[in-house]
Amino acid sequence: MQTETQETPAGNSQPVRCLLGMLGTDVHSKGIRTIAQLLRDAGIEVIYLGEHNSVKGMARAAVDEDADLVGLSFSSAAYVTYTRQLIEEMNRIGAGDIPVMLGGIIHPDDHAELRTMGVRGIFGAGSTTDEIVAFVQSMGRSR
Amino acid sequence: MGAMADRVLTGDRRAAGRLISEAERREPQALQDLGILYQHGGHARTIGITGPPGAGKSTLVDALITCFRKQALTVAVAAVDPSSPISQGAVLGDRVRMMRHADDDGVLVRSMATRGALGGLSTAVGDAITIFDAMGFDIIIVETVGVGQSETDVVGHCEAVILLQTALGGDDIQAIKAGVLEIADLIVVNKKSAPGSDRMARFLRESLHDRPARPDGWTIPVLMTEASEDIGIDALVDALMQRFDHNGAEDRVSVTRRRQVAAHLMALADVEIRSLTQRLVSGRAAPEAWQAVLERRSDPWTLSAQLFEQLR
Amino acid sequence: MTDQSTNIFGNLEELEVKLSRTRSWGGIETENSYGPADPADPDYAEKLGDPGSFPFTRGAYPKMYRSRMWTLRNIVGYGAPEDTREGLEKVLSSGGNGINIVVDPLTTQSIDPDHPAFGPEVGLEGCSLPTSNDIDRLLHGVDLSRIDTAWHWAAMAYPMVAAVHVKRGQPLATLQGSNMPDMLQETLSGWGERLVPTMLGHKMTVDEIEFSVRNSPRWALGMPQAYDLRERGLTSAGEIALGMAFINKTMEDLIARGLSVDEVAPSLAWVSTSDIDFFEEVAKFRALRRFWAMTMKDRFGAQDVRSMRLRVACHTSGKSLVYKQPLNNLTRTAIQGFAALCGGVQSLEVCTFDEPVCVPTHEARDLAIRQQQILANEVGAARVADPLGGSWYVEALTDAVEADAKAMLERIEQIGLLTAISDGTIEKMMDDHNLKMQRELDDGERIMVGVNRFVPEEEPAPTRFTFDRTNTEKHVRRFMELKQTRDQNRWRDALRSVHDVAKSGGNPIGAMIDAFVADASVGEVWGSVRVAHGLAYDPYNALEAPLDYAN
Repeated sequence: MQTETQETPAGNSQPVRCLLGMLGTDVHSKGIRTIAQLLRDAGIEVIYLGEHNSVKGMARAAVDEDADLVGLSFSSAAYVTYTRQLIEEMNRIGAGDIPVMLGGIIHPDDHAELRTMGVRGIFGAGSTTDEIVAFVQSMGRSR
Repeated sequence: MGAMADRVLTGDRRAAGRLISEAERREPQALQDLGILYQHGGHARTIGITGPPGAGKSTLVDALITCFRKQALTVAVAAVDPSSPISQGAVLGDRVRMMRHADDDGVLVRSMATRGALGGLSTAVGDAITIFDAMGFDIIIVETVGVGQSETDVVGHCEAVILLQTALGGDDIQAIKAGVLEIADLIVVNKKSAPGSDRMARFLRESLHDRPARPDGWTIPVLMTEASEDIGIDALVDALMQRFDHNGAEDRVSVTRRRQVAAHLMALADVEIRSLTQRLVSGRAAPEAWQAVLERRSDPWTLSAQLFEQLR
Repeated sequence: MTDQSTNIFGNLEELEVKLSRTRSWGGIETENSYGPADPADPDYAEKLGDPGSFPFTRGAYPKMYRSRMWTLRNIVGYGAPEDTREGLEKVLSSGGNGINIVVDPLTTQSIDPDHPAFGPEVGLEGCSLPTSNDIDRLLHGVDLSRIDTAWHWAAMAYPMVAAVHVKRGQPLATLQGSNMPDMLQETLSGWGERLVPTMLGHKMTVDEIEFSVRNSPRWALGMPQAYDLRERGLTSAGEIALGMAFINKTMEDLIARGLSVDEVAPSLAWVSTSDIDFFEEVAKFRALRRFWAMTMKDRFGAQDVRSMRLRVACHTSGKSLVYKQPLNNLTRTAIQGFAALCGGVQSLEVCTFDEPVCVPTHEARDLAIRQQQILANEVGAARVADPLGGSWYVEALTDAVEADAKAMLERIEQIGLLTAISDGTIEKMMDDHNLKMQRELDDGERIMVGVNRFVPEEEPAPTRFTFDRTNTEKHVRRFMELKQTRDQNRWRDALRSVHDVAKSGGNPIGAMIDAFVADASVGEVWGSVRVAHGLAYDPYNALEAPLDYAN
C-alpha cells in the first residue's frame, strides 16, 4: 500500500553512502562488521570493503562509489601511518574532501596528530552506537 | 551546461561517481549530462548477470574481470545489493569478492542499492551504463540481486544476459520452470563440483531444446563453471564473444539495441509516471480533478484517461 | 645474550609450580575430590564419573592439580627475535613456567617483513620470525627436545620450528612443543577466502596433523583453535559445537589417510577461552570434556583412554575486557582465570589488564602472572578436583550447554562444515551473534561496567607499551641480506619441491621443513603452496613469485 508520505523516486533524498574497510594485515573485523549492520539499520548505505585493503584500492573505491565518508577500523598499532597514507592518496587523486573517520583501538595520545592530518571523527573504545550513527548521518549531502 | 559530462568524457572517475549519484536522485542537471553522454556511447559490450542468492554472482564477476583484463579490455561493473525495506539502509558487500582488482586502473566497480522504488533501480542502472559507456569502458557488467521481475528489468539493459544457477538448494529447478529462462542469453551452472550439477545442466539443455527457436536466431548455451577457481571462465568468455558477434551482425544489431533502449526507456517512463501519479494522489498536481474523484463527481477511469491522453 | 638469561632458559624445567598446600586457608584438610553420597548411582557414573574417569566431566585426572599443576602461561612477542627474547626472560624471572610466543600478523599470515605494503607493521603486534634462523636466534640455547615451546601461530609454526631442530642435528622424533594448526578458524577470523580458501586451509591442517603425528609424536597440537572462533562471535555452546565440527571433519579425513583415532587424539588439545560468566564457563569446560569423550568413544571408536581424555589450553577472553578504567580488568581476569581452574584446564594464560589498550606492558604482564600465583597459592583454586561438581546449578548449566552444543553441531553437519564455511553460513551465524550482543548493550538489556553503564567521565590516557624499533629495522635488513647470501640453487630446488608436492596433492609438510632448512622464508614457502593451488603467490597482488616453478 503506497502512502502519501513515501518518497517518490524523483524526490531528492539519498541515503548517506559510507565506505567501511580496514587497511594492513589486521584481521579483527568483527567490530566493523557489526557497525556495518547497525549503520544499515539506521538507514545508511554501507559500502563494505572488509579486511586487507590497499591504500590505493580504498582511495579509489571512495571515488568510484561517490562515498560521503570513509570509515576505517583498526585494532593494530599501525593506524597513524596507514591513515596518513590513505589521506595522502585521497588528496593525490582529488578526493581529499571526503571525510575520514576512525574506529577501533585508537589511543588518546594520537588524537591530535590524527585531527591534524584531517581525520574528522574518532570513535575509539567506549564510543556508543548512537554517537557513531549521528556522526555518519551528519556527513550526508550537506557538505 | 554539461560540465559534468565533459569531465566524465575525459575519464574523470570522481565526476562519474558523482553523476551516478545525481542521476539516482533524478537531478535535472544530471539528466542533461546523461543526454550528452548518451550520444558518445554505444561502443561497450554489456553483460547482465542474474541468478538466485548464493549462486556466486560476485565471484563470477570477479573471474570475468580477470579474464577480460588478460585480454587488455577495461571493465566497469554495476553491482546491485538489496536495501533494507525497513530502514532503507543497505550493506553493499560485492566489492569484497572483487578485491584483487582494487588497484587496477582498468576496472571500476560501483555498488548500487535497490532503494525500494519500482523502476528506480532499473533507471539508475541504465544511467550508470550510459556513463561507463561514454567513459570508454570496453565491457560493462551488471550484477543483480537475485531473480524476479525487477531483476529482469535490470539485466534488460544488457545485450548478453547470464542466468547463473547452482545445483545446491533443492528447488532451483522449480524456479527455472517458473520462467526466468525467458531473459537468459546464456545459462551457467556454477559450483560445478557440487553434486547434481551435471544432472542440472542436462535438465536445462533438455528444457531449452523443447522450446521454440528464438526470433533472433540465437541458441542459448548451457555452460559449467567453478568461478571461485577461475574454472570454465575462458569458455564462458568465448560464448560471450560469440553472443556479441551474433548481435553485431547487420540484421540483428537493431534487435538487441532495441531491447536495450526499450529497457532504459521503460524504466525512465516508469519512474516518471509513478512520480506524476504520486503528485496527483497527494493532491499536489491537478488538485481540482483529484478532488472531483474523491467527491465522486468524477471517477478514476476518467482521471487516468485524462492523465495519459497525450501519450495515447 | 647475558649469562643470566642463559641460566633462566637452562633452568626452565625446574620452574614448574607445585601445589603449595592441600589444607584450606583456615587449616581444614581436604581430599583430592568430593563425590555424591551414593557413588553407585548409575546416572552419576554415566554423566559425570569421578575425576579422571570416563566421561571426564569432572576432570581429566583423578588428582588434578595435586598430580600436575597447570602450566602458567604468558604469551610474549614483539619486535625482532632479540626483543622477544628479552621479554621471555622477564616472564621467566617473574615465575612464568612456559615459553609462549606470539608472532606478528605478517608472520602469522606468511608475509615477509620486506613486503612493500606492510612495513609499518613488522614486529608491532608480535615477534617477526620470517625464517628458521630467526627462530634459532630467539631460542638460542633452548633445547627443543627438552623444553616446551608453545606457539600461538597456525600451520607454519610447525615446519619452521621443526627446521630449527633438524638444522641443529636433532631427530624430529624428539621434537617437543606445540602449535595451533587450525587454519579453518583463520579463514573465519578475518583472513577470509582470499588469504586462506576453505579447502586449502582444511587440507593444510590435515597435512600438518598427519605429518606431526607420524614424525614427531611428542609435539602437541592445539586443535581446534576454538579461542578465536569464540572471540569472533559464539556462545559457550557455540564454541563446543563449531570446535567439534572441526574435530569431526579433521578426524574423518585423517582416518581416511590411514591413521587411527588413537594415533591422533592423544596429540590434540582444545584451545579455549574463559569469558566473564563464571558459572557458565565452568559448565562449558565440564560439558566440553564430556562431549569430547563421548564423541571419541562412540563416533570414532577410540580405545585409548588418552584419546577420550581431553586436555584444555585456556586463554582468558580478550574481548570481554574493557578499555575504560582498565584496572577493572584485573577483577575480570581473576574471575575468568578462577573459572578456568574450577573447570579443570591444563594450561592457563590470563590476559593482561591493558589488553584492550595495547601490546602488554611489562608491569601488566607481571600482574597477570601474580594473579595466577594468588589463585594457586592463596585462593586454593588448585586444591580439589572439580570443586563445583554436584552444585545443582552448575550441573544443570553443564547439561544445558551440552544440549545447545549438540543441536548446533547437528545443524552445521547437516549443511556440511566446509560448505557452511565457504558459503558464509558460519560467518553469518557469528555476525548475528555479535549484532545481538551489541543491540542488547545499546538497549541496556546487557550491562558492562565502563561500556554502557558506570562509565567514568574523565580519565588519564592509559599507558601504552612502546619499544625501540632499532632491532626491528636491523632485523629487516638482515632478512634482506640473507635472501642474497643463501645457497640459491638449494633454495630454488627446495621451493620447487614444496610446489611440486603440493601440486600433486601430496602432503607438503616434509618439503616445507626442507625449504626452511634451506633458508627459504615464510612468505616464499607459503607462496609456493598457494601457487601450487592455483592462487596468486602474494594474496595482496604486490609481489611476483621469486622463481619459476617449471623445472
